[in-house]
Amino acid sequence: MSDSDATAAEGAEVAPEIQKASPAETPDGSSPSAPDTSTDVAPTRKARRRPDVKPAPEAQEMPKVEEQPAKAPTPSESTVSQGGWGYWGSWGKSIISTATATVATVGQGLTQAIEKAETSLGIPSPTELSAQVEEEQNEHGESSGETDRAAGEGSAAVGGAMGMLSSLTSAVQSTGKTVLSGGLDALEFIGKKTMDVIAEGDPGFKKTKGLMNRNSTLSQVLREAKEREELQTAEKESSDSEKKVVAHYGMLFDEFQGLSHLEALEILSRESDSKVKSVLTTLSGDELVQLREQLDLIKDSFSLVEFDDEDVDEKKDEDGAEFERELAEALEGLSITATADKLGKACKSTRSRIADMSKPETEEEEEEEAVTKTPSVEEVHAAAIRSLAELTARSIELFHKLAEMILSSGGSTEASVLSQLTVLLCRELSLLSKKFTSCLTTAGSNEKGEVLNPLITGVFLEASNSASYIQDAFQLLRPIVEISHIQRRAESTEQ
Amino acid sequence: MEAIWLYQFRLIVIGDSTVGKSCLIRRFTEGRFTQVSDPTVGVDFFSRLVEIEPGKRIKLQIWDTAGQERFRSITRAYYRNSVGGLLLFDITNRRSFQNVHDWLEEARSHVQPHSIVFLLVGHKCDLEAQRQVTRQEAEKLAGAYGMRYVETSARDAINVEHAFTELTRDIFALVRSGDITIQEGWEGVKSGFVPNVVHSSEEVTKSDRRCLC
Repeated sequence: MSDSDATAAEGAEVAPEIQKASPAETPDGSSPSAPDTSTDVAPTRKARRRPDVKPAPEAQEMPKVEEQPAKAPTPSESTVSQGGWGYWGSWGKSIISTATATVATVGQGLTQAIEKAETSLGIPSPTELSAQVEEEQNEHGESSGETDRAAGEGSAAVGGAMGMLSSLTSAVQSTGKTVLSGGLDALEFIGKKTMDVIAEGDPGFKKTKGLMNRNSTLSQVLREAKEREELQTAEKESSDSEKKVVAHYGMLFDEFQGLSHLEALEILSRESDSKVKSVLTTLSGDELVQLREQLDLIKDSFSLVEFDDEDVDEKKDEDGAEFERELAEALEGLSITATADKLGKACKSTRSRIADMSKPETEEEEEEEAVTKTPSVEEVHAAAIRSLAELTARSIELFHKLAEMILSSGGSTEASVLSQLTVLLCRELSLLSKKFTSCLTTAGSNEKGEVLNPLITGVFLEASNSASYIQDAFQLLRPIVEISHIQRRAESTEQ
Repeated sequence: MEAIWLYQFRLIVIGDSTVGKSCLIRRFTEGRFTQVSDPTVGVDFFSRLVEIEPGKRIKLQIWDTAGQERFRSITRAYYRNSVGGLLLFDITNRRSFQNVHDWLEEARSHVQPHSIVFLLVGHKCDLEAQRQVTRQEAEKLAGAYGMRYVETSARDAINVEHAFTELTRDIFALVRSGDITIQEGWEGVKSGFVPNVVHSSEEVTKSDRRCLC
């Protein structure tokens, strides 16, 4: 029926030196004594704090913050991320109380909900936060400095939120000890929370009660979000023709075939999972115990994704060369160069887009006309959302292709390589989103807060959603690695 | 506008490796001929809108599968959610024609309990001089399996548009007649958004009881 399938063999090997992420390390190196609110959860799940895992602490905090937003953590180094956490947590909570049934789509709905939350809570404007982010960038962040500044800037609640964002930034810049997990998770948390709000406020959004770990699949959630957006666009078009173009994350994500890749990945994941289960039912005794142990090891390496990279010595990685190098390193020997190239290209073009957009403001002396070319905030926002959607789609494509290679080549793929890849992608996304918001701040220096703030918040939220989609896609690889392990095991015993 | 379509059909494109599946799809979706060098890994995705009647647009989501044997177990998993497909062989490669039967069997057994509408495509018809499969025998085979037969060339853009539109029309007719229905948990056919009051998906849901499979 077919011919040439010789190229598979080389896919088998995996660069061993990539296993940097040591699972034994404390997830949050800077504050071991200040456990975050999710300590009741198995430590292995730390990197993925989900709203549904820790309902209790949040519920306690909520009323306090709503009544007197000034109550917040002390701005010491160890509690910054922690405080930011609590604060953002309650912020997410209050979105629930303020969001209404009109909140409809992921992209737009979020901004609306957030805007509402912002006004009702009087929290610091993203503009300020983002401006601070820029400052920090210049100073190349000492983490204590940022805390002081944040604390000195008024209410302690402000400090809390600032601390959160600061830790996101500094993580991205990687000045030694960083708390990327804190930052990303907080954002992710809000993202999920907002999803819930949207789901509750919108009856059409039936199955959106949660993401994969509840009852619907990730691609379903995204697909529905996209369909909402399409419907809205269609309605808008039929009513008033010339409205400004709104960037819809879901639609763009689909345009880049992210949904299809995700769905295909889910199919493979589900199928592999049932294969693993059926293999387990055929075994008994020692053999079963042994296999169970091996599978548990695989499971562990999938749970242990930490985004707190103790080892990061990344420079600012201005041109993305560093990212590309690391990506190539992680994918070495996995025979998916074509897909990796696509992702690399997308990252590169995003960076040059950012560079183009921020060019006029880089101490322009020679060109005065440059000012006229300054992009509008809407343009920057649209570019940011588009880039995030594209990069996320490409990342999921990469995972999908990896899954197909693992299943077809029968080669061994270490879970650690995959988790390394996940960290790498999330880090890149967060770095780029931060660059975009700096861009937004610059472009919107003359804009009013109510115009600029939702846009900045929107970028951060989509970035956090992107990161959690990538992490979810990573989880989908687990059964695939498991079944590939079982197959290799069977082959070796046959011989 | 982009967002407005009546239905979305998911099509799968199958056939031996190197018969030109990716080239055909790229010609159709991107309007150009690309000498694709790398063999497809697993499955790739393309989409395009097709206007089957004035104002009636269908969104085609095309799953381009790998022809290589080593991906067979993977691509099998993808059949189920397709409503239709193009089964390609290369008219200059007799072997690829002989394998048509196997492909069909494989597809039919994996779309259960759903059914799938196939179109047989004899590809690379620009290479007339190297032809190894006659049009007559291909038509006969297609007829035996209840398929249409079309000869195409991605390089010279012959019948590419025609092949996809014909298949889309056939599926549309089946959806219209209620032989194919939209089903929860099946991605083969999805209803789109119509900006006006007339929501065409009603026609489909009404005839839900009848099932082809």
